[in-house]
Amino acid sequence: MKIKNYFKSLPARIKGVPKKLSARLAGAKEILTQGNGKVCASMAVMGLGQLIYRQWVKGFMFLFIQLAFIAYFIFTGATDLFGFFTLGTRESNAWYGVEGDNSVVMLITGILAIFIIVFYAVVYVANVKDAYRLQCAEDTLKAPDGFKKEAAALLDKSFHKTALALPVIGVCVFSILPIVFMILIAFTNYGGDVVPPALVDWVGFKNFGKILSLGQFAPTFFKIFGWNMIWAVLATALNYFAGLGLALLLNKKCVKGKAIWRAFPILAYAIPGFITLLGFKFMFSYGGPINYYIQQGGGAAVGFLGLDAKWTARFIGLAVNAWISVPSTMLLATGILSNINTDLYEAARVDGASAWKQFVKITLPYVLFATTPVLISQFIGNFNNFGIFYFLRGGLYVDGYFLASDTDLLINWLYNMSIDNNYYSIGAAISLVIFIITSVISLAVYVLSPSYKQEETFR
Amino acid sequence: MRKAGAKVVKAKTKRALNVLITYCILIVVAFVFFFPCLWLILASFSKSGSIYSFDGFFPKEYGFDAFKSLFTDTVMYNYPRWFLNTLFIAVMSCVLGTLLTILTAYCMSRFRFRSRKAMMKATLVLGMFPSFMGTIAVYLIMTQFGLINQQWGLILIYSAQAPMGYMVQKGFFDTIPYSIDEAARIDGASNFTVFVKFILPLSKPMLVYTALTSFTWPWSDFILPKMLLIDKDLYTVAVGLMSLGETEFARFAAGSIFIAIPIIVLYFCLVKYMINGMSAGAVKE
Amino acid sequence: MANLSLKHIYKVYPNGAKAVNDFNMQIADKEFIVFVGPSGCGKSTTLRMIAGLEEITAGELKIGDAVVNGMEPKDRDIAMVFQNYALYPHMSIFENIAFGLRMRKVPDVKRYKKDDDKGHKAGEPVLDKNGKEIPIMRKYTKQELAERVNEAAEILGITEYLKRKPKEMSGGQRQRVALGRAIVRQPKVMLLDEPLSNLDAKLRTQMRSEIVKLHKKLQTTFIYVTHDQVEAMTMGTRIVVMKDGFVKQIDTPKNLYKYPANKFVAGFIGTPQMNFFEGTLKKDGDKVAIEFAGSDAKIAVPYEMLSKTTPQYLDGTKKVYIGLRAEDITLDAEKVAKSAAKIKVRISHSEELGTETLVYGDIDMNGDGFAETGTRVIIKAGGFKEIAADTVCEAALDISAIHLFDYETEESIMPRIPEYNYLDCEVVSGKLKFLGNTLDLPPAIRCEDGKGELLIPVGAVKLNGPIKAEVTAGERINGQTLLTLRVGDGRLYALADGEAESGGASIGLDFKKIILRVGRTEIAPMPEVNGLNGTFAADKGADGAKKFCLVIDGEKFCAPEQVYTKMFAATTGRKVYNSAYRYEWSPYDFAVTDNGLSAKVLETLDYGEEKFIKCAVGEEILYVKADSVSGDEVRLTPDAGKVSVVESERQIRIL
Repeated sequence: MKIKNYFKSLPARIKGVPKKLSARLAGAKEILTQGNGKVCASMAVMGLGQLIYRQWVKGFMFLFIQLAFIAYFIFTGATDLFGFFTLGTRESNAWYGVEGDNSVVMLITGILAIFIIVFYAVVYVANVKDAYRLQCAEDTLKAPDGFKKEAAALLDKSFHKTALALPVIGVCVFSILPIVFMILIAFTNYGGDVVPPALVDWVGFKNFGKILSLGQFAPTFFKIFGWNMIWAVLATALNYFAGLGLALLLNKKCVKGKAIWRAFPILAYAIPGFITLLGFKFMFSYGGPINYYIQQGGGAAVGFLGLDAKWTARFIGLAVNAWISVPSTMLLATGILSNINTDLYEAARVDGASAWKQFVKITLPYVLFATTPVLISQFIGNFNNFGIFYFLRGGLYVDGYFLASDTDLLINWLYNMSIDNNYYSIGAAISLVIFIITSVISLAVYVLSPSYKQEETFR
Repeated sequence: MRKAGAKVVKAKTKRALNVLITYCILIVVAFVFFFPCLWLILASFSKSGSIYSFDGFFPKEYGFDAFKSLFTDTVMYNYPRWFLNTLFIAVMSCVLGTLLTILTAYCMSRFRFRSRKAMMKATLVLGMFPSFMGTIAVYLIMTQFGLINQQWGLILIYSAQAPMGYMVQKGFFDTIPYSIDEAARIDGASNFTVFVKFILPLSKPMLVYTALTSFTWPWSDFILPKMLLIDKDLYTVAVGLMSLGETEFARFAAGSIFIAIPIIVLYFCLVKYMINGMSAGAVKE
Repeated sequence: MANLSLKHIYKVYPNGAKAVNDFNMQIADKEFIVFVGPSGCGKSTTLRMIAGLEEITAGELKIGDAVVNGMEPKDRDIAMVFQNYALYPHMSIFENIAFGLRMRKVPDVKRYKKDDDKGHKAGEPVLDKNGKEIPIMRKYTKQELAERVNEAAEILGITEYLKRKPKEMSGGQRQRVALGRAIVRQPKVMLLDEPLSNLDAKLRTQMRSEIVKLHKKLQTTFIYVTHDQVEAMTMGTRIVVMKDGFVKQIDTPKNLYKYPANKFVAGFIGTPQMNFFEGTLKKDGDKVAIEFAGSDAKIAVPYEMLSKTTPQYLDGTKKVYIGLRAEDITLDAEKVAKSAAKIKVRISHSEELGTETLVYGDIDMNGDGFAETGTRVIIKAGGFKEIAADTVCEAALDISAIHLFDYETEESIMPRIPEYNYLDCEVVSGKLKFLGNTLDLPPAIRCEDGKGELLIPVGAVKLNGPIKAEVTAGERINGQTLLTLRVGDGRLYALADGEAESGGASIGLDFKKIILRVGRTEIAPMPEVNGLNGTFAADKGADGAKKFCLVIDGEKFCAPEQVYTKMFAATTGRKVYNSAYRYEWSPYDFAVTDNGLSAKVLETLDYGEEKFIKCAVGEEILYVKADSVSGDEVRLTPDAGKVSVVESERQIRIL
């Protein structure tokens, strides 16, 4: 229902885009047509307008940024930027002692150069806008904010600028830049034999074509994708309902010593994931305790996680994943259950509702409503659950799959291909596809979720 | 009269049965969660290290050899060193990461600036990316910065990526009434003062939760340290333990217990904060 | 300890929604002002704009003599009490109260910190080279803090709780702390945003009187926001009733109750709610027939009692609301017997409140008496009164307390100051006869002969002139005096600025304001406002100095400072230069000059003492006072200092 409404409102939203855009452009046009000489001075030389307006500190700061940028651009920026497009022209040759270009490093430094240029452009625009703001103040006889006042505002009105500066830079360098890099890799032939010192080249959409058409990739992709979806749904549902059930169980009035009972799942939660997973791998291995008992009972050792153990391995994966994740869902549900208004239950009891009815009619809708965002993130987390099968069945390749096993999720396949087998560009292309799928799902659900819409009601 | 009595009796037996079933389920659950842990603990006390010398789940002989060798036999596997490395990395990342996350969440909750909605959507989308695919790039960046094989490099990455998960904290800040900020502003406080003197003290549970989660991540992460740390002396416990073979199972178990204990203790002390923290990220009516 | 001035205050959100529309008010020192209205009416927004928590879109806000638009809340010297108390949960009560002081500094002079060997004592002022004290700002000392906090705590009776945390206190106590936090700083203005709505009924009544007491004690200006009309009526010296961002009425509690300016105020103030019947009025000779829609009820009242009613409504076709409070309708047999205004009511049920009984009924014999319809009636009866359901009784209406409202605009059509005097008249060859007097019509009014009606706005009665009159009554209304005059055999309302003196007087008419209907001609009054579209620009004067001009039709008129500063204040950036404005002037504010706006003369209007021209500037028609013009083209220069300005795009009045 909601989704329908969202799509209904889409045309209006899209129509709104040009309006927003033109509002922005109008601002730019205003500056270009009405800016005075001092604003133009700032356009030519950053900070010059500010200096003419006697805003010394700010003016020199802008000037310094421009000089620093010019220096950077001359010494490294230009070559970096050029390298981004060529990805290297000189192949190394050990015979002649020629040190060649490292295409991948050039790609990274190229992206970095673009980031810096974008950053510079933002500062440049801010500089022009600031100069225009000074003109506005002059033209309307208002006293412009001096440097002292603006600096003080950094701890008050624009505290968010100060506070967000570090996180934004960090996220840009360590989260966004790698992602951009990966996206770009999907459009190169990086991988296989083409790794530095060989030169990498741009290839356009070839990699995506390969995934869909090439015999080795396409069947594996669709097989793994199918299992991946099943896995994500099953695992999320299992964890969610098991966790909720456990929380409800511990919430029962008749249970004494809740803290002690709760301690066991928390114990499982607290143990680092890789330990748990390796422990379980040992447990189910050929020489592990379970096989020991089977052999003692006269049976033959079972390869629970072996080559041909498709479904047993999958079920073990589900169970182990539940073992790791259920406690956290339980804690979450416990917190949410304690927030439910008890009047509702009393009213329901007076109306003669059974315990089951109370659960279906009150508890479940409330908890579902409250945990929608968490549910999404859990779904995505499970969709991209790398650890489970990496630790349980890592490094296994099964017939009918290209560089993957029948339990591997897309993310494990990616790992196998790119990190273990150098198929970087294909891996990047696949991860782009995964990314588009997951992000579309989660963004849509997020935008429709009450938490996004009701944000302002808290204020 | 008698009929009513029968009804009461029936209800009583029903209730008793209910309690019985509840406890049965609880015992099963407790067993399921506790047994693997117990197994690990027992394994760590096994005299011979290999998994093949076990009677099923139980070691044939018990002893402290695994613990002894864990701390004394440091030539091949320098566990104490790894432990300290992990502790250092985790604590530093925890402090920095918490600070950055809290600041981000505070800004997103309290300020209405132009790019805010865009930033919120962007972080959400970026969070969807299979994170390790970026690790190649991270590796290359770290080489460019000369931070390969250095603990600070790891700390930098952990704390720089931490703010991406600010949503839970923002959800918590959203529940602190805005009128407190306004009252403080009228009393003469700047936004910075509001943050330091009001928001921080009022969000202690959230701080604890954030610190705990940003501590456990580096504490048990495996992929990044494996990629960025080359020297065996710089390994974290996770990488170190992974390098142990099946014959060293007792040692693995002993090492695991040592690394799990601090976190378990923390979790048990702070379970209240955990519950509050986790449900803060959920929507409230 | 300060007066406030709000001029043309607007709050417009970026999406164009207007939360507050053209709020104008002068608040005197020590007043207790209450903003009241349903939720979403803009009362809290206005308060928050005064506090500085919300930006003012346009308009001028003064606290004391300082314009505080754009000033930080902390610099405005105000204090605010919030609905949810907004106490700092992690601080003790003492710290809660002291925090505001800790954030502030006090002026002092530099002093020695300890005794030194040159014979200076600790605490003695340090003197500079010229032997003068050095002024500095310092923080409050511990002792000062404790004194101030204790003083505030004592006033509110919370001294013993100072060490507690807010969560250890009850709602009433928390509210006291919130008040303490506000008064400890001794602010110029106290702002209270629904401070009592989180308390239970009994505590609310108690705190209500305590806040009133506090106001008396502190002698500070209070501004109090509430949605509860009882709170408003009992606390305020003046009340501002708001709805949908508009001020509906500003007046004292008594006047709001007695003279509601519109149906909203009438219904909002007073319990039980005023009865509103739908109906029509028809003037027939000296009687007015009131017909109630949806019922057979019909009463006739003397026109004298409804003489302030705007005449257009008396023709029996325009639907009106007839408002009567429950206490102005009675079932008392004796009174009913005497009354001339009786209607039949079918009783449905009653509510006994102890001292009085509210009897519910319907003047429609088929109505149920429960639903709020145009026929339902609530009647206040004294003591306990049991009336069987479905009884049909006669009820008497107190017509002197009647309120009448327009059906569409819901504005009162019987305002305290009536709009018009409604008279019969006759025009005979250029002479106007009314109330036994004859006046020459000025040349500007050309009217056919015959009998007709004359509508004289109360403001058009001049207090000197050829007509003899006698002042029979004077009523002070909001700084003006409404005079009731006897002229010949009739009655005329007029306005005077000063106090009324009864006795003989002579009056005249301002012909340019009257409406005259004779036969098919209708003489309309001359418009008092001339609007022109234009823009705003900066210019350089001959001496090189910067000037700011109103630009109309390509002509520039330099604006004086008080005009352009207001226009600058109402806009951000350079928007003032890129916006369209509507400039308005009265006919008196134009001068005929050699240059200026070129206008085509359409007509000259001679009102005897004053002469005007009707002319066209582009599409706009202007009326301008001008004694003599030659030719059909004039150049006009408006007085830029007397301009009224409306920003066209957002419809914001700036001046």
